[in-house]
Amino acid sequence: MTPAHVRHYAGAVILTILAVLAAVGPGAFGLSDGIVSPPYSKPAWLDSSIASKTILDVASDISSGNVGGTSGITWAYDAPSRVSIIGTITDGYLEWITPNGRYRLAEGAGELDLDARDIPFKKSLGIGPFENMARVLFPARGSYVLSLSGGGNVVMTIEGGRWGLLGTDHRGRDAAALFIRGIRISLIVGITATLIAALLGVSLGILSGYAGGFTDTVIMRSVDVLLSIPTLPILMVLSGIWGKGLWNLVVILSIFSWMGTARTVRAMTLTLRDAPWVEGLRALGAKRGYIIFRHLAPEAMPLLLANIALGVPGAILAEAGLSFLGLSDPRLPSWGRMLHEAHAYGAFTSGAWWTVLPAGIGISMICLIFMDIGRKLEERADPRLAGGAPGGIHLAFAPEPDTETSMERE
Amino acid sequence: MKPFLRRLGGCAAVMLAVLVLNFFLFRIMPGDPLTGIVDPRFSPEAKAQLAAQWGLDRPMSEQFFVYIKEMLSFRFGLSMMTGTPVWDELKNRVPNTVALLLPAMLLSAALGTALGMHAALHRGSRSEKLVMLGGAVSFSFPSFFVQLLLLMCFAYLWPIFPLRGTTSIPPPKGAAAVLDYLWHLALPLFSLVILGFGGFALYIRNMMVKALGEDYVLMARARGLPARRVIWNHAFRGILPPVLTILLLSLPGVVSGAVITETVFSMNGVGRFLLEATNSHDYPAAGAAFFLLALLTVGCNLLADVCYVLVDPRVRREGVRE
Repeated sequence: MTPAHVRHYAGAVILTILAVLAAVGPGAFGLSDGIVSPPYSKPAWLDSSIASKTILDVASDISSGNVGGTSGITWAYDAPSRVSIIGTITDGYLEWITPNGRYRLAEGAGELDLDARDIPFKKSLGIGPFENMARVLFPARGSYVLSLSGGGNVVMTIEGGRWGLLGTDHRGRDAAALFIRGIRISLIVGITATLIAALLGVSLGILSGYAGGFTDTVIMRSVDVLLSIPTLPILMVLSGIWGKGLWNLVVILSIFSWMGTARTVRAMTLTLRDAPWVEGLRALGAKRGYIIFRHLAPEAMPLLLANIALGVPGAILAEAGLSFLGLSDPRLPSWGRMLHEAHAYGAFTSGAWWTVLPAGIGISMICLIFMDIGRKLEERADPRLAGGAPGGIHLAFAPEPDTETSMERE
Repeated sequence: MKPFLRRLGGCAAVMLAVLVLNFFLFRIMPGDPLTGIVDPRFSPEAKAQLAAQWGLDRPMSEQFFVYIKEMLSFRFGLSMMTGTPVWDELKNRVPNTVALLLPAMLLSAALGTALGMHAALHRGSRSEKLVMLGGAVSFSFPSFFVQLLLLMCFAYLWPIFPLRGTTSIPPPKGAAAVLDYLWHLALPLFSLVILGFGGFALYIRNMMVKALGEDYVLMARARGLPARRVIWNHAFRGILPPVLTILLLSLPGVVSGAVITETVFSMNGVGRFLLEATNSHDYPAAGAAFFLLALLTVGCNLLADVCYVLVDPRVRREGVRE
């Protein structure tokens, strides 16, 4: 196993993992797409000095003879950003016992829906309307008890600053869920756009090379024009006018990325068209379509596959670029969109690197893997390009390593 | 001179295609160009008046004629958002974009050539692998990601470069203004160079590996020429035309990159103007910015063509281009 082998296998494994993740979606890991934690919560494993989300749950049923219940925690952090209490009390009262004293949160019977930002609630506890309720409820480190006397069922949610594997974004959505959603967009756009573009490029390239004359001129001049104007601005304007949907994007991308393939295929067709064996086929009475699809197309396959694999990163980068510029459907969580939001909503000034790194590394990794596949295929089509790894192939016409060093020394 | 004139004709054809594309992009697509500024509650008369203001009520052929005239005279019409001439806003931005792209292009070509040559001359070495890896990384990493990381590291965590802008606000006077401009330019320029060299390095390495195996290089070595001359005057000289072709082909990508770079670093350039105009459906402004970017590409293309004539004697003699 050479390092190159390891790289190829690692690439294949990563690609498979990503494809599986894209297929099952974030739901399979119990990750939700909604808002789960305060904005820019850190990844759960990062900083244990910050509380993670805690839920206190007290239930007691009078009819079965219970007269209350308690639920306690040991709090070793700063005051949480938000506290909310939801539930019902049938008859009794709810108390919050802090190391510095007790607060009677509610009494009597009824539905409870309290939030630490709720001004009437603050007033009922004798706190000024602009004071931070969460700070009053969590004045110090120590043990806290939520105590319910009488019957009822109460859930207290204490929002922390830590969440999941990758933290949360500017809206409090789980970044890991967004990351997994993003794989799907990148793979779908990258692969379908490239396949459509390849199909276009092959058809037009073969047509151009085989038909020649006026058809050839028209197709090749359009290739020249499309290759010498910057396409991103056109893509931007098109997606601005034409709608931002996923499939619109695929179509737009494929319209502007068939040119390279068409050129390669045309050149191959030209060499093959006049090859003696093709002339022989024609002499045998083979029809044009037969020659193209049974003989020329298979001949062009290896280089074509390389072209496709090398085209995928381009499409993925173009999609990510457009999304990064904010020109994609805001409802489609793609990696480019994650970076766009990180840039637009000040993830930096919040130090929230976890909204930037996973998406960026994801895009780069997928692109590198496809480049690697493409290069491998290209080397297969032209072995002289193979890297000069020790133990690799040194063809007779490639310079020998030792003669080069002697040339260098002079 | 004849082949050069032909290339000039080719560039004119590209610009014509751009002009036509630009015109129809905004008129054939669903929704009319006024959608962005017309409120559904507007009366039909108000709508008609707005359409008349931008000449949208005239026949298509007349609109096209007026449009071509506006484009070629560099007036570009009035912005739909601000109502001021588009060129007034654009003219300050063009030098900023050129000052970013031209050095970026030249520096990444120089760095790519140096590293690619090194890799080709040291086949099988650790440094070749390093160049190949670095090239692939540079080539395939998304520009905005790398730029965001640079911004995070060198403008936020270790703030030695500005977080945004083309100049400080308020801009300093005199010599300090130049330094301030360069200080703001440094990080975007650096990011473009490390993103741009990879393609060149990989391509030059591949071309050189092929060229070093060619008969004419063997011949040059057999003649006993010093290694330096064999490498630079024969092998490298031989691959220059295709290298220039690659340079030419990478130009549109570089210009496209300006949009993203200027957005990330909040620079006052044509690219960001295009994005803002697109987002606000200001079609005359977006069209003008696109036209200028295309013109920039074609202009550089022409420049590269002049170099092409210089490096490839066949072009000079017969006008043939591979």
